[in-house]
Amino acid sequence: MNFPTSITYWSHFVTIAMFALGLLGFLLRRNAIVVLMCIELMLNAVNLFLIETSMRTNTPDGIILVVFVVTVAAAEVAVGLGIILNLYRLKGTVNLDHFKSLQG
Amino acid sequence: MREVLFIAFSLFTIGAASGVLLSRNPVYSAFSLILSFFGLSGLYLLWGSTFMAMIQILIYTGAIVVLFVFVVMLLNLQTNRENSSNIVFLGVVSASVWLFSLIILRVLTRSIPNKILEIPENQLRTISKLLFTRYLWPFEILSFFLLVMIIAIFAITRTQEIAHGGEK
Repeated sequence: MNFPTSITYWSHFVTIAMFALGLLGFLLRRNAIVVLMCIELMLNAVNLFLIETSMRTNTPDGIILVVFVVTVAAAEVAVGLGIILNLYRLKGTVNLDHFKSLQG
Repeated sequence: MREVLFIAFSLFTIGAASGVLLSRNPVYSAFSLILSFFGLSGLYLLWGSTFMAMIQILIYTGAIVVLFVFVVMLLNLQTNRENSSNIVFLGVVSASVWLFSLIILRVLTRSIPNKILEIPENQLRTISKLLFTRYLWPFEILSFFLLVMIIAIFAITRTQEIAHGGEK
């Protein structure tokens, strides 16, 4: 089964579009939970690229890297949401504009 | 047929991913995230990686997004208006990010060959063998990392100290 060149060409567009969307949301949205979701989008774009390259070159190493990425992403989300819960208890909001203690 | 499926899944994924950014309510963002993960899982199936398609649905939509939805419902957020950013600025930034990283990616992946794909007979067995032979040490470090994360989450979300001695 050979890959049509159109798919191999356009799949990079999908990866980059997902990563750019995640980056934009990370930079522009002010809700802390949505910012975490956008980090997930960026991680998934990288996963897509890794799996595509791994299947194209017929080496399973990329899939193993993706397994590691998924595990770390799950742990990261759990810790991030715990921090957001504590911030909500302290300040009563999750808007990132209100967390300015470190700016002096 | 593969091209049609690829285009359908890509458009579905990107549309749902933009729904994460554009929706005002965080619950709708979480649901768009679920849809986007389903589209991604379809793309993985299209590439022939059945294992990762299964993992994507099981872990991402079954664990991570459910965690998001739990926290969103726990916090009882009122959807106040965020300051709306400039549409032209947003478009220019997104287009430039997209083009720049596309050029970088095309240059970096120029040398990857476009081979004939042979889907391995038992992909799960291949991955498991590699995990316990070549990638044994990263695997063990990862399990230790998970243990550290469990303890860290317990330490972070303890309620007593926060309620009484928390910094105001």
